[in-house]
Amino acid sequence: MTTTETIAEARVGHPFPARALASAAVLAALLAGAFVLYAPSAEARALSFSLLIGTLFGVVLQRSRFCFFCNFRDFYEKREPRGVLAILVALAVGVALYHVVFITWMPVPIEGRLPPTAHVGPVSPVLALAALVFGLGMAVSGSCLSAHLYRLGEGSPTAPFALLGAGIGFVAGFLTWNPLFLAVTARSPIVWLPHAIGYSGTLVLSLAVIAILAVVVLALSRSGASPASAEPLSLRVVARRVFVERWPAAAGGAAVGVIAMLAYFRVAPLGVTAELGSLARTAANGAGILPETLYGLDTLRGCATVIKETLLSNNGLFVLGLVGGSFAAALLAGQFKPKWPTGSQAVRGLAGGALMGWGAMTGLGCTVGVLLSGIHAGALAGWVFLAFATAGAALGISLMRRLVPGY
Amino acid sequence: MLKAVIAAAFAVCSSGAALAQTGPLVSADWLLENLDDPNVRVFEVSVDRGVYERGHIPGAVDLNWHTELVDPINRDIASREDFEAKLRASGVTDETTIVLYGDNNNWFAAWGAWVFHVYGLGDQVTLLDGGRRLWEARGLPLDSAPPAFAASTITLQDRDLSLRARLGDVLEVAESRVDAHIVDIRSADEFNGVIFAPEGVRELSVRAGHVPNAINVPWGRAVNEDGTYKSADELRALYAEAGIDGSKPIIVYCRIGERSSHTWYALSQILGYEVRNYDGSWTEYGNSVGVPIVNVAGTVWTGR
Repeated sequence: MTTTETIAEARVGHPFPARALASAAVLAALLAGAFVLYAPSAEARALSFSLLIGTLFGVVLQRSRFCFFCNFRDFYEKREPRGVLAILVALAVGVALYHVVFITWMPVPIEGRLPPTAHVGPVSPVLALAALVFGLGMAVSGSCLSAHLYRLGEGSPTAPFALLGAGIGFVAGFLTWNPLFLAVTARSPIVWLPHAIGYSGTLVLSLAVIAILAVVVLALSRSGASPASAEPLSLRVVARRVFVERWPAAAGGAAVGVIAMLAYFRVAPLGVTAELGSLARTAANGAGILPETLYGLDTLRGCATVIKETLLSNNGLFVLGLVGGSFAAALLAGQFKPKWPTGSQAVRGLAGGALMGWGAMTGLGCTVGVLLSGIHAGALAGWVFLAFATAGAALGISLMRRLVPGY
Repeated sequence: MLKAVIAAAFAVCSSGAALAQTGPLVSADWLLENLDDPNVRVFEVSVDRGVYERGHIPGAVDLNWHTELVDPINRDIASREDFEAKLRASGVTDETTIVLYGDNNNWFAAWGAWVFHVYGLGDQVTLLDGGRRLWEARGLPLDSAPPAFAASTITLQDRDLSLRARLGDVLEVAESRVDAHIVDIRSADEFNGVIFAPEGVRELSVRAGHVPNAINVPWGRAVNEDGTYKSADELRALYAEAGIDGSKPIIVYCRIGERSSHTWYALSQILGYEVRNYDGSWTEYGNSVGVPIVNVAGTVWTGR
């Protein structure tokens, strides 16, 4: 999206004062929620913080259009590198900040121990398959799951179907979990890079790979001129750049990396599927269609699903904040444009969502929970997810071009 | 024998100083004031991972229940060598006042206190009353940096087996061959065999119910709303009401021995009764072959 388009969009629809008021009301409601949740106990503080950091995450995703699939597609089809660079910046900033936390909490990466609650999952062909299927699902539905959530706040007609489809995909994932676990996952290694090459080695290697990817992306790019103009800075210009225009790749990516570290330090690594999966698991369990036991699931790291026993959860509030924060940001920017879904959007949302749901359940997370939070944490699984989800997305784009006219 | 008695008497006298200072429980305020005392060493025993790292009482050492307080291979408490190494690395000496606290109502911290007692450090150990929950509720300071201490050369004694009940000991009371009290500190539903395990915990026993002759006093009755122990008088009255007045030896048990440590602490350290913790608890007793149980509800595992 170019600057002129953004400004033109902002000028249509409701007048600015009404949008600003609505946006402020949404933000005020979220802040009031965090205030009400706050109580003098660790649990209440975590709930309150989760809603706040989720809100911030939603604002950042919406303002920088931080969408794994759309960013990849911009590069893949148009050789537009900014979105992909934002993802790479988020990976680099996050991996550096995570190491600050790791070295504080666990000065030595002791063999046999993992940093508490970090998303360091098993590496196996099942993970590769899950990531590939997730990538296909992104291409079919047009976004990854976190982007569907922030787009829900923009009034996307596809997002509700994609999230519903993801719930169905999760249930399918639960049904295939036990055979896959017994055949493969139970015997697959959990590779935490600092165990092999230390913290410094992991940091240097991760940053080097990210730098190489950035160089490759830039070498292949056919980007237009940078939208940064020579106009003098004024309150009006800055306000427009912050609240209406898409944030620069480096700013959005860095913000995501910082939020990832803050969330990990205070509550848990970033992830957007735990609550969705838990809702699916609770519903399916209530309907009696789940196996009595899901082998090993509770012992593996990642976006863990549980049968819900309490209404409020950290991840649930994080996701609620994400959608609400995006909604507030989109309102202010004039980018909240609810549309009635077409049949094609509904079908693509449901089908793509189901593929992503299966992939996220089987892979123990999505582009946020495994790719982002995994790479940040020095988990080999994060890199595997990156490679195979990208391959799946590329494959999905080719397939969709053949199957869907005008894709 | 005489030597042992003299040594024991000496041990009680010499370290009586630490205990006299604190007693079996310390308040959050006391700990806050004594955090900088080099002779006070705080250990956090939290069972949920990530709790310690995200913020612990400043200077507290992480004591991992799953790996550092138990021997998972032998289903036993930590070996003397391993536990001694941990205490040496944490700079604990014969003069150190050891303060324990943790999550989950101090259950696992109380288990820790029991292990310290088994290894002869009972007179140096005290529990932060109210545990982590109260500390957090009061908004007292937390730190996320791991502490470092100069290593000590402390040597642990052999295990004091009189603090631990084994299956055979429990069976003797269950079959009325030995006169003692057994206190089952689980919930009434677990005690009566309505359920096998509390909510959110796997059913690890094939039988429901309780040990014959056991008396049910759920652990939670020993604490106030804020998680601190009730006063000694209240505790004495509570257990007396259940027929336990310290006149007979007592064995406490629960499901895996951690909640019972909490009651073990109240009965033995606050009231001074003679108490043994049965750490095998229901997951051992309920699964043992040829061992009688009482199952009031008559629940049968996987039975319809």
